[in-house]
Amino acid sequence: MVNGFYPQNLDEALDLLSKHDVVPYAGGTDLMVQDKPNQTYLFVGKLPELRNISEDDEYVRIGAAVTFTEALASPLVPQFMKEAVSRIAAPAIRNAGTFGGNLGNGSAKADSVLVEYATGAKICVASVRGERVIPVERFYKGRKELDLAPDELILEVLLPKLGIDDYYYHKVGGRQALAISRVSFGGLLSVEDGVITRFTCAFGAVSGTVLRYPDLEAQLVGRTVEEARGASEKVIASYAERMQLTRGRVSAEYRKDVCLNLLGDFLASKGI
Amino acid sequence: MHNISRSVTKKDHEPKMSGRSVYVGDVDMHGCLFGKLLRSKYARAKVLGVRLPELPEGYTYVDRTDVPGDNNVNIVMDDTPVFARETVEYVGEPIGMVCGPDEGVCQDIVDRIEVDYEELEPMLDLRKADEVFFNYEYGKGDLDAAFAGADKVYDEEFQTGYQEQAYLETQGMMAVPEEGGRMFVHGSMQCAYYVHGAVMRVLNCGPADVHIHQDVTGGGFGGKEAFPSILACQVAVAAHKCQKPVRVVFSRREDLEFTSKRHPSLCHYKAAVKDGKVTAMDIDVKFNGGAYTTLSAVVLQRGIICANGVYNVPNLHVHGRALKTNTTPTGAYRGFGAPQTYFAVEMLMDHIARDLGVDSIEFKRQNLVKKGDATSTSGLYHFDVPLPEMLAEVDQASDLLRKHKEYSKPQTGRFRRGIGFSWHFHGAGFTGSGERDMIKAVARLHKYKDGTVEVLASNGEIGQGLRTTFPKIVAHELNLPLEKVFYDHPDTSRVPDSGPTVASRSLMVVGELLRRAAIKLRNEWEDGKDQIVEERFKEPDFMIPFYLDKFQGDAYPDYAWGAQAIEVEVDTLTGQAKILGAYASFDVGTPIDYNIVMGQMEGGFLQGIGYASIEHMNYDDKGRIRNNTFSDYLIPTTVDVPNLNVQLHVREFPDGPYGAKGAGEVPLVGAPGAYVEAIEQALGGKVSLEHAPFTAEDTIKALAEEDA
Repeated sequence: MVNGFYPQNLDEALDLLSKHDVVPYAGGTDLMVQDKPNQTYLFVGKLPELRNISEDDEYVRIGAAVTFTEALASPLVPQFMKEAVSRIAAPAIRNAGTFGGNLGNGSAKADSVLVEYATGAKICVASVRGERVIPVERFYKGRKELDLAPDELILEVLLPKLGIDDYYYHKVGGRQALAISRVSFGGLLSVEDGVITRFTCAFGAVSGTVLRYPDLEAQLVGRTVEEARGASEKVIASYAERMQLTRGRVSAEYRKDVCLNLLGDFLASKGI
Repeated sequence: MHNISRSVTKKDHEPKMSGRSVYVGDVDMHGCLFGKLLRSKYARAKVLGVRLPELPEGYTYVDRTDVPGDNNVNIVMDDTPVFARETVEYVGEPIGMVCGPDEGVCQDIVDRIEVDYEELEPMLDLRKADEVFFNYEYGKGDLDAAFAGADKVYDEEFQTGYQEQAYLETQGMMAVPEEGGRMFVHGSMQCAYYVHGAVMRVLNCGPADVHIHQDVTGGGFGGKEAFPSILACQVAVAAHKCQKPVRVVFSRREDLEFTSKRHPSLCHYKAAVKDGKVTAMDIDVKFNGGAYTTLSAVVLQRGIICANGVYNVPNLHVHGRALKTNTTPTGAYRGFGAPQTYFAVEMLMDHIARDLGVDSIEFKRQNLVKKGDATSTSGLYHFDVPLPEMLAEVDQASDLLRKHKEYSKPQTGRFRRGIGFSWHFHGAGFTGSGERDMIKAVARLHKYKDGTVEVLASNGEIGQGLRTTFPKIVAHELNLPLEKVFYDHPDTSRVPDSGPTVASRSLMVVGELLRRAAIKLRNEWEDGKDQIVEERFKEPDFMIPFYLDKFQGDAYPDYAWGAQAIEVEVDTLTGQAKILGAYASFDVGTPIDYNIVMGQMEGGFLQGIGYASIEHMNYDDKGRIRNNTFSDYLIPTTVDVPNLNVQLHVREFPDGPYGAKGAGEVPLVGAPGAYVEAIEQALGGKVSLEHAPFTAEDTIKALAEEDA
């Protein structure tokens, strides 16, 4: 026996969320496994307001209840996100799992969240009190800790459209399918007229949240590719010094070795 | 190929595929009780007291004081308690059971029970373990002279880890008190008569007072050889006390943490080499037996008998010990001690060859046993050893010999390749004289008046196809359509003891009894008459008697043979290995059903690859197994391997039905040697790899050593 509410639209959902102690449930791929007793759910997976993929000048907007399979089929979703999402679990789970759920679960291993970090995405949340748009790295306050009030619902992901075609991505799972990330890595590097205009690096599944170090990224921005090539060892060393990783299913040392190896390969693949 | 090998639809295909099969977890539980086990929190502790909360009406607590007979489960020895004695010896050891009509309430009561412990220092380190459960030693030739006269001596240590059977259906058992005081126990199991003997002892009653039925069983792989006896005793005691049916079905977490799995091993090898041949091996084998002996004696016997692999080593000394640690008792898993020592000896041979500067496959070939050679235990290879032909078959499929040389050259770049090869035998049937002295199998055929024939035997269908292959043999001899012959899951009240479902003996030994029984029935056949025929085991005449006290003689009548090659590509940035190809030739004698055998070959091969690569499980410094979910204990999926390229090489066994031998284990046992050799080659070959599973994390560490 499962207790829950089945709202017909967003307003109703937010109203219920403001009045009851409920857990939003979209695809249920995490919640079904947890199977907590005496939990009341707010079933939001069918809410039309959460089911769209659209775009504006700046962002691709992916609704919180859009499934991974739907995103893979959408011409609007960029390749970087598709590559990460295509490696999630297995088809049955991708058919049910959603972007909102991947965020709401609060895990640093969430494969779509890594791309949101690497691209500087924003998260739109809503409550009866109104809407807020939060950069993803602020949305995650710590391990399993989100900037999300009990009455707030994740509405959509705002994924930047520009400058994300030139990406690097690699997931290390324990096996080829149905594997939670043990290390995931995603980065962007844009060059205009021989000068690096953007450089991001996100490391997933190696700490309480996905990690990004904007000050270390700044070391390469504004430099020419040649200058960057000369500085790459120093840049990698600066990451090595800064990264304090935790152990999980694999050791902290292994995580760090792989992160730095992939960072080095990412730079080398861009001629740096 | 023999006519009988032609594949048919398995008799249990339709009910299993349609979901109609009834497993013990599917039984209607109205009026029945659920049982939940109270388990030890510590690896070793005195239990000072158990304080129960107030039990609601209808709920009962059961422990060792409720055992009507002996509080010991009969396995090989009798040291495993039904419920814990004064001390608990591993994390998860059952102390008692709460029974009642609601499973959730039972668990809630278990969670509220307070146990007073006095913690004792547990033994968790196999290297330091000093309580020896079993200690065997044997040898031949003149070891000292061989080492003294050697060109070179090699000394190396190898380790292997746990492996969990990961059957689809977790352990589950139900006991039902019947009218007249008889106890009926049914559930998921391999060996109905093992359970029968164990329950009799615990209930202190005669053979007719207990009967055991194997329910449809969702896989065993050895994991349901001995463990069901323990669980059966627990539910039988509970049902005896409550005088109501009691069922326990394990959660996956319980099953992963607290049921038997493959013995971790530590093997120390010394080898003498002269003129390019291995002249001597001095081998020390240690198996981690966990807290109780369960099957460690027989697992260790098999492991040490094949410790020199498929090589003719004239001077040999093997010392094997199964040691106690305060961990979950280990037990049977497909291969039964052999995968551990094959891994060690195959890696050793690779490393010696590399040191000698010769190709390891060529080196292995030069040391291979052949027909007429003595076995490790001074028995005889009575029949052809088909491994050279099987190597050629694997080479044909995989281009092994060329790739093996090519990949041994220095490689650069992110992705590097290796191909590994191993070969091995698996002794068919029980080790030693167990079949003759202990099992003494009996099988019957019951012909009914309408002309249908029922097979009466105690071997359990666990996916290996016995419900199909037994009737196939009988139908073949009686010239009957297959529909006229049937084999149900055994109930000890109606079938004779044809022995346990282990060691791939069922088809080879019991299948042959049934073939002979069918011939007898054919000769005595009278239409319209109810007839029963019986056959008993007789040891083949050619065998050199085996003496367990000396480890001398033919340990097995014949052998299944395997040759395997695995090709990998290693990502040097992440340590991940992609399997590019997995090739094998297996000789299991005549396949009694081609599709069933091929399913066994591919499934076992995949389990072997998992064991070698990603199936990592260990306990922490408190003795707790933390890999207790399928997200923490990973087994390979179909996308982790390409299509397995498997072929059958048929060298018949004259005393098996139509030439059939054992098929179950052979596809698994050799895979770790082939896989880890492939990784070693890809990494550059300077660093010797000495353990399995060899994970991505291990690869990154080894790469750092290669570069150092």
